[in-house]
Amino acid sequence: MLINFILNHNPVSVDAPADITLLALLRDHFKLTGTKEACEVGECGACSVLLDGELANSCLVAAPSVMGRDVVTIEGIHAEDGGPNDLQRNFIEKGAVQCGFCIPGMVIAGEALLAIKSEPSRLEIREALAGNLCRCTGYMQIVDAIETTAKGRAEKPHPEKREN
Amino acid sequence: MTNLKFVGHPAQRVDALDKVMGKTKYVGDMSLPGMLYARTLRSELPHARIVKLDTSPALKVPGVVAVVTSADFVNHSNFGFPISDMYMLAYEKVRYVGEGIASVAAETPEAALEGVNAIICEMEPLPAVFDMAHALDPDAPQIGPDRSDGKHPNYIGHYPVYKGNPQEKLPQCDVVVDQNYETVMQEHAYLETEGGLAIPTPEGGVVVYLSCQSPFIPRNDLCKVLGLPADRVRVIVPPVGGSFGGKDDLNYQTAGQVAALALKAKRPVRMTFSREESIIASYKRGSMRMNIKLGADQDGTLRACEFRSLYDSGAYSSQSPFTSWRASIHAMGAYRYEDCTVDIDTVYTNTGYAGAYRGFGNTEVCSGIEQAIDEMADALKMDPLEFRLKNCLKVGDVTPHGQLLSESVGLSDCLLAVRKMSDWDRKRKEFANQSPSSEKRRGVGVSALFHGTSLGAEGLDEATATIEIHADNQVTLTSGLTDYGTGARTVYTLIAAEILGIQPERIKVHNPDTNTAKDSGPTVASRTTILAGNSVRVAAQNLLQNLDWAAADLLKCDVYQVHRVSEDYIGPSKEPVSWDIVVKHAREMGLVLSAFGRWSAPQIHWDEEKGTGTPYFAYHFGAQVAEVEVDLKTGHTDVINIWAVHDIGKVIFPQGAYGQLYGGISHGLGYGLYEDLDYQNGYAQSINFDTYLIPTAMDMPEIQGGFVEASFSAGPFGAKNIAEPAMVPTAPAILNAIANATGRRIRKLPANLERVMLGKELTKKGSPFSCKVALKIT
Amino acid sequence: MAKYDYVLAKSLDHAVELLNESGIRSIPLAGGTDIYVAIRVNPVWFDRLVDIRRIPELNKVSLDKDQVKFGAAVTFSHAIKNPILLKVAPFLVEACKTIGGPAVRNCGTFGGNVSNAAACADSLPSLVCLEAVAHLCSPKGQRQVKVENLVKGPHETQIETGELLTHFTFQVPPKNAKSCFIKIGRRKAQSISRLSIAVIGAVNPAGMVDYIRVCPGAAVATPVRFPQVEAVLLGKKPNKESITAASEQLVADMIQSTGRRWSTEYKEITLKAIAERSLTKIFLEDGHHVN
Repeated sequence: MLINFILNHNPVSVDAPADITLLALLRDHFKLTGTKEACEVGECGACSVLLDGELANSCLVAAPSVMGRDVVTIEGIHAEDGGPNDLQRNFIEKGAVQCGFCIPGMVIAGEALLAIKSEPSRLEIREALAGNLCRCTGYMQIVDAIETTAKGRAEKPHPEKREN
Repeated sequence: MTNLKFVGHPAQRVDALDKVMGKTKYVGDMSLPGMLYARTLRSELPHARIVKLDTSPALKVPGVVAVVTSADFVNHSNFGFPISDMYMLAYEKVRYVGEGIASVAAETPEAALEGVNAIICEMEPLPAVFDMAHALDPDAPQIGPDRSDGKHPNYIGHYPVYKGNPQEKLPQCDVVVDQNYETVMQEHAYLETEGGLAIPTPEGGVVVYLSCQSPFIPRNDLCKVLGLPADRVRVIVPPVGGSFGGKDDLNYQTAGQVAALALKAKRPVRMTFSREESIIASYKRGSMRMNIKLGADQDGTLRACEFRSLYDSGAYSSQSPFTSWRASIHAMGAYRYEDCTVDIDTVYTNTGYAGAYRGFGNTEVCSGIEQAIDEMADALKMDPLEFRLKNCLKVGDVTPHGQLLSESVGLSDCLLAVRKMSDWDRKRKEFANQSPSSEKRRGVGVSALFHGTSLGAEGLDEATATIEIHADNQVTLTSGLTDYGTGARTVYTLIAAEILGIQPERIKVHNPDTNTAKDSGPTVASRTTILAGNSVRVAAQNLLQNLDWAAADLLKCDVYQVHRVSEDYIGPSKEPVSWDIVVKHAREMGLVLSAFGRWSAPQIHWDEEKGTGTPYFAYHFGAQVAEVEVDLKTGHTDVINIWAVHDIGKVIFPQGAYGQLYGGISHGLGYGLYEDLDYQNGYAQSINFDTYLIPTAMDMPEIQGGFVEASFSAGPFGAKNIAEPAMVPTAPAILNAIANATGRRIRKLPANLERVMLGKELTKKGSPFSCKVALKIT
Repeated sequence: MAKYDYVLAKSLDHAVELLNESGIRSIPLAGGTDIYVAIRVNPVWFDRLVDIRRIPELNKVSLDKDQVKFGAAVTFSHAIKNPILLKVAPFLVEACKTIGGPAVRNCGTFGGNVSNAAACADSLPSLVCLEAVAHLCSPKGQRQVKVENLVKGPHETQIETGELLTHFTFQVPPKNAKSCFIKIGRRKAQSISRLSIAVIGAVNPAGMVDYIRVCPGAAVATPVRFPQVEAVLLGKKPNKESITAASEQLVADMIQSTGRRWSTEYKEITLKAIAERSLTKIFLEDGHHVN
């Protein structure tokens, strides 16, 4: 069936079967492989996307249900010049990245939090990441990266946005 | 070494940018034109004879292109090291639930699954043994291969350490502790599941992109089972989404399956696992039952240790002979004893199978010995941290293995550091005076560890790196050892940048590739920084010699008069010349701008019969303190704080080292509190992350870490290692903290709700249902 | 070939019509957080998903006099931020906060949680305490069933094929009522309830309990109130002794209902403890004030 929606800030139209998830739509039909498949039961958050600005597990979202909605994947998160934005730079600076498989989901979860909370505590950051599993980092440096970004954005008059 | 510019300074992980942008391509993200999707038929029975295997119905399924079984390989696809007991696909028998039987390649994943379900596979169930205590019963069904030495075929090996006679010494000690401890199976839970992509070559060979740790092992295995020479099989390791010891044997089978299918179909074939398939089919940390007897005198001197243990390797030996050996070496902990013996016996059962997992035997034994040490301190009415300080290994000590420790033993410093950081003395006093009626109780516990660096006497220990300056002056490095998330590439980059005096941004590390890198042994045992790091150091030094000659020629001086400041070469009188000009001049002089670096570990020896020798050339040391709050009425344990200080030698890449430390602690916290890959009658009872729980960001405390840099003279810039040992002491520190809080000891891991509250486990009746369904559907 | 079809319902009537189209086995889809998990380990049992998430009235929370009404497609995240629910049913909000991770709470709905009817469903104990009523709509008309009666067993409800759970209603509890929800999980986040409890109660001006509802989760086959437990407290001045007696009654009633099972040895101690803690919280400490 034909699905029209906004993907990474651009309108798209795709003909896809009705019985697939948003995760499969992104990976198989749009070849956006930054969104990862790791449990497919909504437990690990590797497939996190922003759906109308809110954090969602794309493995639990019916692909046709995004009709007319706004989907942002990791490929849609970057600075204006296409390079890493402040959050992504802080992930690099703080050593928050190891194997990297959970990282697109972690960046998305971080953006979802920062969109609704400008200066979250470390505990609030941990709560916001509770649906995103990481087996490499013990989460410390991921929390550091989000905390530092929040402080940076709070100081700036015009916080860096994720739009391209 | 005070003037280091890159080593030990904050740095950016070389592969982090692509990862934060979502651009990194793991195997499951790769696709090629005409690529087929593969799926493997897996056993639904824990032990059975294959009576009939007819794959022809699969080939009639629309979309199915090729099917392979063990008959499509040389020698029935037999492989495995050190014991060749495995097959790429089952031959005659299956020995665990999830074992691969036949593989199908099709145009779509759905057609591949349909093909798998169409295969006619008739099985005759065989009696099975699930309890390691009965594996060696005379009437136990045979799981292991036939053997000619008269020993039980389910017997894998005996791993001893012998010093003196603790059986005689123990009765002479003032206090004896005699306790049993037990660990259960742990799932690696790497976020990326297993996968491989095989591409047939025009010459009749195959290239395999494989998510694994050690590409030369599957390359060599593939040559053997496919009957191809080395030049026709190439294994490349793309970015790996975590491994922790877990992407060896099972994914070598994946490599065999996709390679055989690709050769048969003459098209690229990719296989990726669902989480359920991954957990059902993959090997785990094995379970261990230990009996530990410790003897000490009233003054707090530890005198004797007698350690006996049974280790369950499950259906295949995999790395268990090495895991068991490493366990035996570390079983007594990092302490001095007059007399000490260790006996570990390892057996086959039909309970999944055990292989390598972070800590590799030490994680298991440390959870036993570090509790026993605490129990001894309690019996002596000594502070457990003080007791450890009094008895722990120091420079100049001889270990129970007979090894003189001549340098780089930072354990006392680690213990003193965590004592101070955690405010240990005050907390122990305060928690001793908690109200007996309070339902929530606090406790602190400590654990120490030592961990032999690299392979030790397991095998030949050397690594090779190459370095090359290209026409555009970019520098590339190769290593036979893999960075499967650890940060090794960044370590190589910093070492090479330091030696050459150039910015790390100039250097690029290639993916491990059996066609371009040199076999450097397996990427295991936390050996990469020392082995590969040293080989990169040597390669860079070899390259630097040529650049120095070119610089001397440009600067019209002797080579010994050349020195470098930043990227400039300076001679006695002339203006400085830049690195780029020196490289250009070297090229014009016809000097070779590539080099090779090999580094071999110091010679060591182990006598397997006498249980004595020099097991490792160096040791990592560390200590961790955990603070917990235990809810006596619900059994919930909240880990509030962890302090961790490890002697890792010189720190090369600080963010990476801390990342390894924190990540290791998260594996240890899960191991201590809830991770239990329970098998009932051979069926895994948790097959996805909804029931197999690993720590979330909410479960991990804020960790305070630190490093004691007890320089190791043979390490690159004095470095040792960190990856595995970071997790080893965490679980026992938590268990000791729970005992401090509650006065009760949990001697079987994990300290889950029921065990903490009731002091015993509750057993739920298991079911084969989810495994069977998942193998057919997901 | 798709295994099943998808259709977006434009209105309530449209959804009911779609769910009752003959020859097509249709089921409602809201958050998807249970359906996609279920079809991973079960063969697909339907032909079509009818997406009800965008039907406006199914997404509303409203207060009319003393009755709260909220749609079946209201998500847990919506509930956590909703001022009406925060004010009149704080323990329901507390329960919602313990469900899944943030992403699951953004998608998961009350309608899904109730109709999936897992024994450990975290919104159920509070809904049962509130005596929430589920409103079901079908071509035959509307019917109302108390949530407590709607759930017949684990993953089993009275909802019939073709019937759509549209919304819930409950009467605002007494103004002076206090409530509490406690959950025990194996992990601190994203954890299935090992055991939970919801309680809400109030005392009259004389200090006697005149309103009390107790419903544990994951203790017995379905989330139900325990009248005998409530009777222990009702009409008496709450104190340590009566709370202990009520908690012991709850454990006895649980064992009577389930018999002694593998987990009873654990649950009898823990249920008593969380019952004592929750009742102490509402009667002897501050609790979560309603209004």
